[in-house]
Amino acid sequence: MTITAETIQTMILSSATELRSHHEELSVLDSATGDGDHGTTIARAMDAVVKAAQDKASEPIGEMLHACGWEIMCSDGGSTGPLYGSLYMGMGKATKGKTELTGEDFAAMFEEGMATLRKQTKAEPGDKTLIDALVPGVETLRASIDAGKSIPEAMADSAAAAAAGAAKTCDYQAKFGRARNLGERSIGPVDAGATSMSYLFAGFAAAL
Amino acid sequence: MAMKKFMNDPADLTPELLEGYVAAYPSKVKLVNGKLVCRAEEKSADKVALVTLGGAGHEPALSGFVGEGMLDISVVGDIFAAPGPPNVYQALKMAAEKHVGVLFIILNHAGDVMSANMAMDMLENDGLADKVKIINTHEDIAPGVDTPIEDRRGLVGCVGVYKVAGAAAEAGKSLDEVFAVADKFNNQMATLAVALKTATHPSTGGAIFELAADEMEIGMGQHGEAGTGRSAMLSADKTAEVMATQLIKAVGATEGDSVLVMINGAGATTLMEMFIVFRGIKTYLDTLGIKIGASCVGEYLTVQEMGGFQMFIAKLDDELQAAWDAPADTAYMTVR
Repeated sequence: MTITAETIQTMILSSATELRSHHEELSVLDSATGDGDHGTTIARAMDAVVKAAQDKASEPIGEMLHACGWEIMCSDGGSTGPLYGSLYMGMGKATKGKTELTGEDFAAMFEEGMATLRKQTKAEPGDKTLIDALVPGVETLRASIDAGKSIPEAMADSAAAAAAGAAKTCDYQAKFGRARNLGERSIGPVDAGATSMSYLFAGFAAAL
Repeated sequence: MAMKKFMNDPADLTPELLEGYVAAYPSKVKLVNGKLVCRAEEKSADKVALVTLGGAGHEPALSGFVGEGMLDISVVGDIFAAPGPPNVYQALKMAAEKHVGVLFIILNHAGDVMSANMAMDMLENDGLADKVKIINTHEDIAPGVDTPIEDRRGLVGCVGVYKVAGAAAEAGKSLDEVFAVADKFNNQMATLAVALKTATHPSTGGAIFELAADEMEIGMGQHGEAGTGRSAMLSADKTAEVMATQLIKAVGATEGDSVLVMINGAGATTLMEMFIVFRGIKTYLDTLGIKIGASCVGEYLTVQEMGGFQMFIAKLDDELQAAWDAPADTAYMTVR
């Protein structure tokens, strides 16, 4: 089974809708350890994504994802821009020129996205950042594909793992970004960045 | 409580404030591609250009110091958010293509550093990265002076870096020389912030932190991120002494030394209070036999209507004193 560029576009638009519908909640979460605007920043980035996905609807998957990444970076969203931007650009690099993806292509796309994002930050799992949702999300996707599951099944597993990863961040002490200055006071609330990353995965899964 | 600020559509805060700023100071600044604040009259190509980046909502902020003797380009992001890599790249490319060299000054905040690194990668592809030298400011001593520098934020000290490096650039010094003076200053400066009351985030309408009515917090970040030292409210003299003691220790100033002292209001603290605090610093430094070689008191990097201020101290030598005293003509700092 393969999926088409049109389905990828639906996934992109679905994740944008999912994230935008949670923007107020994300800002409230961010106010616990940051300056309370993560939802605003994410909403601005997703506006950029929607525009790029619609403008590039007739192009191959990689070109569409690359455009999404570039537009996110142009949206001036603090660290969200380089991080989400490089995730999409990495996904685009892995799918350049392709108009449909196999399960293997699909998993490789997320792996390349994650690798590109991780070049921008030294954060590791457990540091209370979006990495805590991204890593289990991508690793679970790969495991489910390798286990012979369909793309929709694997994406559903992935979204569940990303959500579980985000939920665990309440136990962690922040090591990166503005929240790190709080030290032990950062333990308790879940991380806004990990939560938004889990909604991105939930939005992808909902479209399949 | 509903937000009470003069604004139009919250989504347009940054473009509108920038349009207003350049319209108010047309002889000093102009806007290029919406988000780059540039000098109205460009510096000659044989001089090193100074480029910086940072979020909006801290006005006058970095863009307030674009002009003769200080910055050439300030790349503005959005409210409390760093500009994206594409705009930063564009500014660096413009400066590097025109000028003999570029000093790129980055305040140590996660988003700023990420955008700067990605922009430098893009510049590398153009073969222009060799014309750029980077100064990363990280003078906040709130996490402790022994904390690794990547974990210490850049606060108002960037303004001092713009001033001393800008003077060297204006004097026609080479990129290496401009870098050297900026680096020296960067390594002997320190800032500590104190907050009294929170501010409203202009995009969300939410309070950016909570603080009890009878408390103050030393170590508050540029965006109101919580610091480490909450205490009961102290008098101006006591606050000045507590903060200056830590700063003097951090910069290693001793009897006979000369220092620059800057008080940067957070937005809602009156000049009355800042002058009273400055008086307290002067009294304290007099007892230590440390001379105030230069000083300024005002609002440089604000956090909306946050109550509090940043106290900045840098050790001066003859070279830095001369660079500080050299002419500058920007909207928010003028030296003649």
